[in-house]
Amino acid sequence: MKFSLFLALSACCALALSSCANKKSEDLYAGADGDYVTGMPLPDRVEGSNFFGSGVNRTQFPPVFFGYDSYTVSDSELANVESIARAMRGFPNDVIIAGFTDDRGTEEYNRGLGERRAQAVREALIGMGVEGGRIQTVSFGEDMPADPGSSDAAYAANRRAEFGVIQ
Amino acid sequence: MKAPPIFRSLALALVFSSLLQPAVAQDAPTITVRKSDAVNLALTPLTGAEGTAATRVLENDLGLAGAFAMTPAERASFIVTGTAAEGSLRGEVKDRSGSVVLAKTYSGSPRAAAHQFADDIVETITGVPGIASTRIAFVSTRSGKKEIYTADYDGANVKQLTNDGVISVAPALSPDGRKLAYTGYQSGYADIYVIDLASGARNRIVKFPGTNSGAAFSPDGGRIACSVSKDGNPELYVVGANGGGGQRLTRTRGVESSPSWSPNGSEIVYSSDESGSPKLFRIGSNGGTARAVATGHSYSTEPSWSPDGKKVAFTARSGGFSIGVVDLASGASRLVASGGEDPAFGANSRHLIYSTGSSLILLDTQSGKSVPIVTGMGKVSEPTWSR
Repeated sequence: MKFSLFLALSACCALALSSCANKKSEDLYAGADGDYVTGMPLPDRVEGSNFFGSGVNRTQFPPVFFGYDSYTVSDSELANVESIARAMRGFPNDVIIAGFTDDRGTEEYNRGLGERRAQAVREALIGMGVEGGRIQTVSFGEDMPADPGSSDAAYAANRRAEFGVIQ
Repeated sequence: MKAPPIFRSLALALVFSSLLQPAVAQDAPTITVRKSDAVNLALTPLTGAEGTAATRVLENDLGLAGAFAMTPAERASFIVTGTAAEGSLRGEVKDRSGSVVLAKTYSGSPRAAAHQFADDIVETITGVPGIASTRIAFVSTRSGKKEIYTADYDGANVKQLTNDGVISVAPALSPDGRKLAYTGYQSGYADIYVIDLASGARNRIVKFPGTNSGAAFSPDGGRIACSVSKDGNPELYVVGANGGGGQRLTRTRGVESSPSWSPNGSEIVYSSDESGSPKLFRIGSNGGTARAVATGHSYSTEPSWSPDGKKVAFTARSGGFSIGVVDLASGASRLVASGGEDPAFGANSRHLIYSTGSSLILLDTQSGKSVPIVTGMGKVSEPTWSR
């Protein structure tokens, strides 16, 4: 029952993600109730799986990039997300999505924003038929930048969600 | 319908008078100096073997307190004397008539004893708690990784607390200064740990799936507010001080972060970007409806509720980052410092500690006087202050 609710929400979500240019659409889930109003609960952790650890392959998929202070998966990133969804439907491994930000926000807010980015990608994958129970999230905020510079190009490279396939 | 001429000319006069007011840029830090608040105080150097050391600390504390103008004895409203030797400090304060208003003996190092004496002097004369005996904690990259450090409020006695070698951030001291909560990544995920500072015992208390961060102890130390993302979105939660019994407070599509408790523990102020860029809100600590706290800045994060309950300090983005303070009763908001982030109110609701990135600053929000207290430790951030 819960799972079918997931799927219904996922479909809404995928539609909304692909059609909605607005960063924070507040009435995405209007009408639903309970905890599912604002997201899709995460599965229990796979303890011992560390995103930056040796048991996680971080190079299998390219990152998804985001606009400044945004957690919307933009149209230009959808093809990448779709190809990741297709690949994930073809193997059984669990995946950790790690969210990152540039360093222009305040630090704790950036931890939240990075997490929101990871969750947005997770929601998109679920909307494309990947089982939510296979996807963990974690945020490193502005720590662990891909590019330590402070140019616009560096900032853009750092606003990302990365994928770690648990081996 | 036209207004009668008298009203029209009155309106015109009002327009002109407002034009004649000096233009104040909205984002310019406004510093209010109220010299009349300062009480004339004379410090007679303390006698005894440890007198010199204690006097140096006491002089610094009384200066930083901001409540006093240090004057010669003949112009002073109060005169401080004392003796420090063999781990004991005997302090005394007399008023102009020679009546003793404070006389007390303190034990411990000259430094610790002087801090306690300074706090008693401040509280006796001004009625407001002092900050001299308080502790701070913060994040530094000195070791090459982000680790948690502790120090006295004036930046002395810096000690490295964590040595995790990963990312240790978002420290929060309990109001009594005995415990410290922080966000650590040892598990590979962001979890909240609590360290008992006396014993060093550490427990991972919030380890839900996703990212758990931004811990803040309730005033009585019994609860912790934090951001938890297990529901599929970063939401504000309140858990017991041992991590049990999580209660969710918010339900939004946005990012809730950086909770800070009201002094009686009934409310929490936090940042949410539900409506776009992050702004401040307050909500009952047992739940309820969130209310916006208008700051006049579209990007406002990292609130810190003053211990007297009257104000909230925050980080505002206006070009770079600035430190703002909003008065909750009047709604008046002002910037008190530019080039800073993450303010934390001290016990006196007057001083803030904040980060410039390269240093931690102790700011007297009343006089505008600022003193760097931690420098040369790489990038320093996210200060927290005991009460």
